[in-house]
Amino acid sequence: MIDIYFVQQIINGLSIGLVYALIAIGFTLIFGVLNVVNFAHGEVYTIGAFAGLMLITWIAPPVLAIVLMVLAAGAFVGIGLERLAFRPFRRFRDEASLKSRAMREATLLSSLAVSITAREVMNLAFGSQMQTIPHAYLLQRPIVFGQLSITVGDLVIFVASALMLASLQFMLFRTRIGLSIRAVSNSPLGARYVGIDTDRAIVATFAIGSMLGAAAGILVGLYDGMITPQMGFAPGIKAFVAMVMGGLSSIPGAVICALILGVSESVATEFLASGWKDLVSYSFLIVTLVFFPQGLFGVGRERA
Amino acid sequence: MIRNSLRALALMALAAGVALGSLPAAAQTRKIVLGYELPLSGDSSHYGEVFRNAADLMLEDFKASGGLPGADIVIRYEDSKNDAREARNIAQMFVDDKSVVGVLGDFSSTVSMAVGEIYAKAGMPQLSQTASHPDFIKISKWQFRNVTTQAYEGPFNAAWMREQGHAKVAVVAIQNDWGLSAAESFANAFKAKGGSITSIEYFNPGVRDFRSILTKINRAAPDGIYLCMFYEEGASFLEQRQQLRVAAPVFAASSLYNEQLLQLAGSAVDGLMLSSTFVPTNPDPRVQSFVTRYTEKYGQTPSQFAGQAFDAVGIVLAAIKKVGPTVTRDTLRDALAGTADYPGVTGVTTFDPQTREPAKTLARMIVTNGKYSVIR
Repeated sequence: MIDIYFVQQIINGLSIGLVYALIAIGFTLIFGVLNVVNFAHGEVYTIGAFAGLMLITWIAPPVLAIVLMVLAAGAFVGIGLERLAFRPFRRFRDEASLKSRAMREATLLSSLAVSITAREVMNLAFGSQMQTIPHAYLLQRPIVFGQLSITVGDLVIFVASALMLASLQFMLFRTRIGLSIRAVSNSPLGARYVGIDTDRAIVATFAIGSMLGAAAGILVGLYDGMITPQMGFAPGIKAFVAMVMGGLSSIPGAVICALILGVSESVATEFLASGWKDLVSYSFLIVTLVFFPQGLFGVGRERA
Repeated sequence: MIRNSLRALALMALAAGVALGSLPAAAQTRKIVLGYELPLSGDSSHYGEVFRNAADLMLEDFKASGGLPGADIVIRYEDSKNDAREARNIAQMFVDDKSVVGVLGDFSSTVSMAVGEIYAKAGMPQLSQTASHPDFIKISKWQFRNVTTQAYEGPFNAAWMREQGHAKVAVVAIQNDWGLSAAESFANAFKAKGGSITSIEYFNPGVRDFRSILTKINRAAPDGIYLCMFYEEGASFLEQRQQLRVAAPVFAASSLYNEQLLQLAGSAVDGLMLSSTFVPTNPDPRVQSFVTRYTEKYGQTPSQFAGQAFDAVGIVLAAIKKVGPTVTRDTLRDALAGTADYPGVTGVTTFDPQTREPAKTLARMIVTNGKYSVIR
């Protein structure tokens, strides 16, 4: 006899995992291509949610239109972010600077600075109270299968993740811009020598990664029913863990690891007090770093 | 001879000049500063904003009713981000500033206790509007609070739930000092009255997904749930409880009482029962005047957190007024300890002369059709 509550826990875990996966996709794309952690990704996620809320209050279009508009807003934010926090560190063309790791690692802090500033500006602009999304848009209607229940939002997020993953794979492997992105990911210097416009490829990466992040934000906002300027921080950390576990440059790997994280957190509640839930995720991180430094699905990459 | 008397005259003139010169200094108004450490950024910033609003309102009232002759009282707000390290730096800064005679804050029990040691060592009176952990006030004679502790509220709610016929209850509490004390005081009182607790589930602050906890509770099938959490988590919890169709009725500590909860949780909040000290519909003229002015000035109905801060500042100002413009940290502490029958908007407050714990009355409330109402 299957324990129905255990099955429900697994379903809960998968839905948490899908939320992490949504964020991990954009995050891993940027890291995979540029070898830089984009700390501002959590804030792009939050900006996506707030942009969606503002659109709902001003224009009230149907849900699909909102997601498309938020995608556009996300791309815009991504391009702005790249220009503000990342491009200034690529301005020098001499050989030493092009090969310098310090320049790249400085972007860690510049993106962190942008994230803090963005969060506090949103705090000032919107207040730090939770903002509700009008009920008509929420994806919280439960769907019941006997004793199990999920919500409409779970299905929507699942479909959205699958679509994002599929379209990203398509773009990376079947379009020219995808080719240049992969080239830059393999070796930025080499790509430049070969004549690929690395700046354009990088801007494209940010635009796409941020589009996905912003879409994740609005979908989770519609799913949760409430948004706050602080919402980007915790999921951002979990996405980072998922990315490291999955192998730093593998997007499908990050998605699978995000699902694993979600399910283990949920199942762990059965055995541990749920205050210890985060312990599970971070233990995975430690185990990965110690025993599988390549990640579970990663391929070796030159960390030049 | 003349030289000596000239010298004497010159000395006397000098002495007179010095005496006259110091007179204006004595007649100057003294600047008295009240330090207020509160979270103005970070996760708890919406509480900090409310405290600041209420404190400004109380200070305005105080000045409008005459203030303190001979002294100019100002409140200096410092953002502690609800973080113990930040708060400690702020505490040290307040202690080193001679014009600060007393400190209000902090928001959470954890942070208030972290800075309590600094204030105790330096001899600075500290009044927290919301730190309700029993151990906070035991740090030293310099700690005060105007919020009833969970040691008082837990048994109140336990008695209520037993009265309603609940025998098996699950507790869900936030994992911090406050949540731990709230859950334990409720659980102990409930068991002492003959009930049983299926489990106490703790969750980390910031968590929004309670479905695993709810599924676990569902399995244990209690006939009631008791919540020790704040409205942000409470709203998510209630919605997910509705989604997972957990039938047991929900009771909560007064921390959940907030207008925002009604907006965030929608229909999921109907049937919630909780205790509270501050009720905006209380017909008492003081409460009504506070509610009207707060709503006019800030555009929202004040929550009990606003009421707590309003009363906290009021109690400190009343104590300062009692001592006078020559108030020092020592005399302020003694005046605070003697607070009796302070007419606050959160109830008439008296500090126990032995333990300094506040005594107030609690109300029982229920949510019906998206509105709070008091049950007698």
